[in-house]
Amino acid sequence: MAHTRDRHDPTPRIVAVSPDDGSAIDLRNPALAALLSWAVPGLGQIYQGRLFKGRLFMGAILGTFLAGMWLGGGKVVYASWKPGDTRWPFVCQAGAGLVALPAVVQSLQLNGVARQPLFGSPFMAPPLVAGQYVSRAYADRLAASDPDIDAEDFFDRPPLRQFRGEQVSHWHRRLGRWFDIGTLYTMLAGMLNVLVVYDAWAGPLGTPTDEDRKSRSDRTT
Amino acid sequence: MLTSLVAFATPTFMTPVVLAALVDRVPGIFFGLPLMALASLIFAATHHEDPAEIRFAAIHWAVWLGGILGLVLAAVLLLGWFA
Repeated sequence: MAHTRDRHDPTPRIVAVSPDDGSAIDLRNPALAALLSWAVPGLGQIYQGRLFKGRLFMGAILGTFLAGMWLGGGKVVYASWKPGDTRWPFVCQAGAGLVALPAVVQSLQLNGVARQPLFGSPFMAPPLVAGQYVSRAYADRLAASDPDIDAEDFFDRPPLRQFRGEQVSHWHRRLGRWFDIGTLYTMLAGMLNVLVVYDAWAGPLGTPTDEDRKSRSDRTT
Repeated sequence: MLTSLVAFATPTFMTPVVLAALVDRVPGIFFGLPLMALASLIFAATHHEDPAEIRFAAIHWAVWLGGILGLVLAAVLLLGWFA
């Protein structure tokens, strides 16, 4: 990264050097670009005018994240810090940006005063653990929609209901290897987005050595 | 579970059922291949700016990654054979 000044425009510009042809890459506001690239993979590059890379990152990372969600039956991205079910993969999944944010919202809702996810939807909601209290409405919705949960799986604790089982065990039994494969896809999408964020902040990684330049000129002659 | 998901998500009934049945038979290790391609592509794209250079570097990284992981797999299989 380097600062340059134009004689006619005294505002300093932050640029990176392309390792391919040595041209300047205008990074505009690198911090904003990095934040945009975290929020939506590739959006920071698009903000900087690097459209090819922006679309490439957006398609590749979002596509992999969504593929992981699909392979895992929509159950692999959730945020949980309970003893016995601390969801460490979410630390990597969160790298994919706003697509993983609903998991945090759902976790806060389920473990907060509301005792149910937002709008009562189990989408990206953490699995229930034994002894967990939930609202009657959410308990009824799970009993009606989840094939592994019945009304008998809850103790009646007015005005709430208390879950008796371990929902994550149901997910593992129903999804089998797809739970792990989906988790892997979403984790990798998040981790690779960290490189994309760095690319938006500081430009392409590394600079070519004299040996690289020589071998490149040998290829073109 | 996967069969019902695919059948719900697409309008044509027979094609997703066939696809899901095929996907269920694929050993899990092969689901790592798209991830290798993704990692190679992202590595290449974060090291270069020119599309042609990105494509060349992606192939370069994919060969390296495949080779290293292939060696690891061979070593694990050998250890399993002699264990």
